[in-house]
Amino acid sequence: MSDQALLERPAAVPAPTSRKGRGSQGLSRLLPYAFVILPAAYLLVFMFYPLGRQVYLSLTRTRLANPNRSQFIGFGNYERLFGNPEFYSVLKITLVYSTMAVVLGVAVGMIAALALNRPFPGRTLVRGILLFGWAVPNVAAALVWLWIFNERSGVLNTIVTGLGLERISWLTSTDMALPSILLVTVWQVAPFVMLVMLAALQSVPEEVKEAAVIDGADKLSVFRAVTLPHILPTLQLVSLLVMVWSIRRFDIIYLLTGGGPVGSTSTLIVKLRQVAFENHDLGMSSAYGVVGLMLALMVAAIHALFNIRRQRSNSR
Amino acid sequence: MTSILKHVFAVAMACAAATSAMAQDKVTLVVSNSQWLDALRGEGLWNAVKAYEKTAPNIELKALGIPSKDYGDRLMTEFGAGAGPDVAIIQEGVFYALADAGLLVDVGAAAEGVPLNVTKDNGIVDGVTLGVPWQRAAYALIYNSKLTEAAGAKVPATVEELIASAKAVQEKTPGSIGFTARHQISDFSGFYMDFQSWAYGYGASWVDGAGKLTINTPEAVAAVTAFKELYDAKVIPVGDDFPTQRTRFKEGQVGFSIDNSGGTLNIASGGATKGSDIHAAAMPFAHPGAHQQIYVVVNANSKHQEEATAFLKWLMSPEGQAGLRKASGPDMLATDVPLDPDFVAANPWATTFAEVATKSHSVLIPGFETETTQIMRPVMEAVEEVLINGTDPAAALAKAQQRVDGMF
Repeated sequence: MSDQALLERPAAVPAPTSRKGRGSQGLSRLLPYAFVILPAAYLLVFMFYPLGRQVYLSLTRTRLANPNRSQFIGFGNYERLFGNPEFYSVLKITLVYSTMAVVLGVAVGMIAALALNRPFPGRTLVRGILLFGWAVPNVAAALVWLWIFNERSGVLNTIVTGLGLERISWLTSTDMALPSILLVTVWQVAPFVMLVMLAALQSVPEEVKEAAVIDGADKLSVFRAVTLPHILPTLQLVSLLVMVWSIRRFDIIYLLTGGGPVGSTSTLIVKLRQVAFENHDLGMSSAYGVVGLMLALMVAAIHALFNIRRQRSNSR
Repeated sequence: MTSILKHVFAVAMACAAATSAMAQDKVTLVVSNSQWLDALRGEGLWNAVKAYEKTAPNIELKALGIPSKDYGDRLMTEFGAGAGPDVAIIQEGVFYALADAGLLVDVGAAAEGVPLNVTKDNGIVDGVTLGVPWQRAAYALIYNSKLTEAAGAKVPATVEELIASAKAVQEKTPGSIGFTARHQISDFSGFYMDFQSWAYGYGASWVDGAGKLTINTPEAVAAVTAFKELYDAKVIPVGDDFPTQRTRFKEGQVGFSIDNSGGTLNIASGGATKGSDIHAAAMPFAHPGAHQQIYVVVNANSKHQEEATAFLKWLMSPEGQAGLRKASGPDMLATDVPLDPDFVAANPWATTFAEVATKSHSVLIPGFETETTQIMRPVMEAVEEVLINGTDPAAALAKAQQRVDGMF
């Protein structure tokens, strides 16, 4: 039965005519709104109002210590922002970081999910261990990784020097800082991807896969023709989530490098914090925030387009 | 029976009313400071301040401790939102930002008739006293005499000598560290404040007489070049954050460091290195270095501005200063209260800090106090570029000059 059919009143049921019946009918008509009103109020107060306020602030000259005495300057902050070469560097780093986080995080998570999708002794234990990275709070994880990356006494350089190689400046060289941060990001994101994809993989009907095998399909073909189409919507959704989280990720980057060295890990959000709290310029920092928001919305729009295309092709 | 009950009820009501009146008379002043959370001297400082309640029984002081990393951000946000503590003990940078926003009260009455020393100067903005001095933490060269004597390393008077002495320490004691210094932008605030000692030490001034920002001067280039030489000498624990470096000094693993008096007090307390093994000397530069100045201010949003100003007046009095002296270790105070002789006997390094604090300069750029962090960001990124990528100091600072020129 379709959703529409479920919602429609069955023709055989007579419409209530009494006052009490009309009252309960009115109440039941209002009930959905009652369910929606609280979340809607929450979103309005804690999401849309701050968002609107941020957009407004981005059109003003506002100092951190004096937010109530702002001066409307139109697109002045955006003119300054787009005229600043540093902004394009920050934007590029944000895009590179977010894209790589999606590619690597989803790839590693997917591989782990495929490995865990088949039964083997101790599977539950392994799954629990692999989830560790996702369960650790970001700040704690960043502090642990700071020690791991420590140039003099960190675990990684102990291994590297043990292999007879030169110490690596994991967080203090412009070449290595971003890859090091990506390593921590993947360590955190991949378990989440694994968990979601594992659930998706387990929903793939076994009989369809078996039918494909009987038809002579090899493992790769079964994955491509049966498994992948089934898990594709989940894969797209998880990629969208990882991308949006990466665009707005702050704590790990700020704690590990603070945007350095020489701005090599300075993403939009790290820059936003710097402009707000070092330069005390709330207007300009809001402009950075709005750019980040637009970026996230663009990614969401691409995801929506993919969804529409898929639904159209399914309905043909 | 009813009559007795009536009397009891009346007495109870009278007592309740009296208690309520007393409670209403009592004013609570919230005093914020990141130092309240300091494991070593937080309690002592708070007790020194809390002693005011004996002088003013109608006042109750309530401590608001906020971690130093978030302190400035949080206070500025709270003050800007029309809230915040009645009294705040704040770094000079935050002081100027709040003063610029008109969020501080004139506390000139607290300083009337008090022989305040040179630390008062920056608390007066456009002729109005908006803050009275709390502490000044100046920078000096500190060293672990056990390590330096074992290595036969001399107390350096130049950067070249510092490099030689730091290397000597490392060679003599395997596993030891020659010199510690902040060197990463991830600790931007501390990095730029520490680096000011190098810049000022080489005679650099970030602003000229006409008020133009001067970043790529020969003096600044010389300072960056010298810092780079030290960085390349492999005597610094590259990658260590500064709390870790201080802990290493505390544990007796470090020969030399340039640190402020507050940091040195931390190093000298509660670790393997005794205060008597730590010594201090003037920094190995031709000119005086920097200091961090802290002021006490009254919030313009406070409902108890008069009481808060009276508290500040007591703080500036001989009684208030004497209490603060005991808890402040080597830091310079608002008045010239001599260091505690017992403290100096246990910490021979303290007197050097007291001396250098009279000649040192603020970490803030004169005339650009509220914009200093904004200006120092490209400067410190240039320093980092020199350290990491080996960029020519003159070229890196020229680029920083361009960025700064485009700011205002």
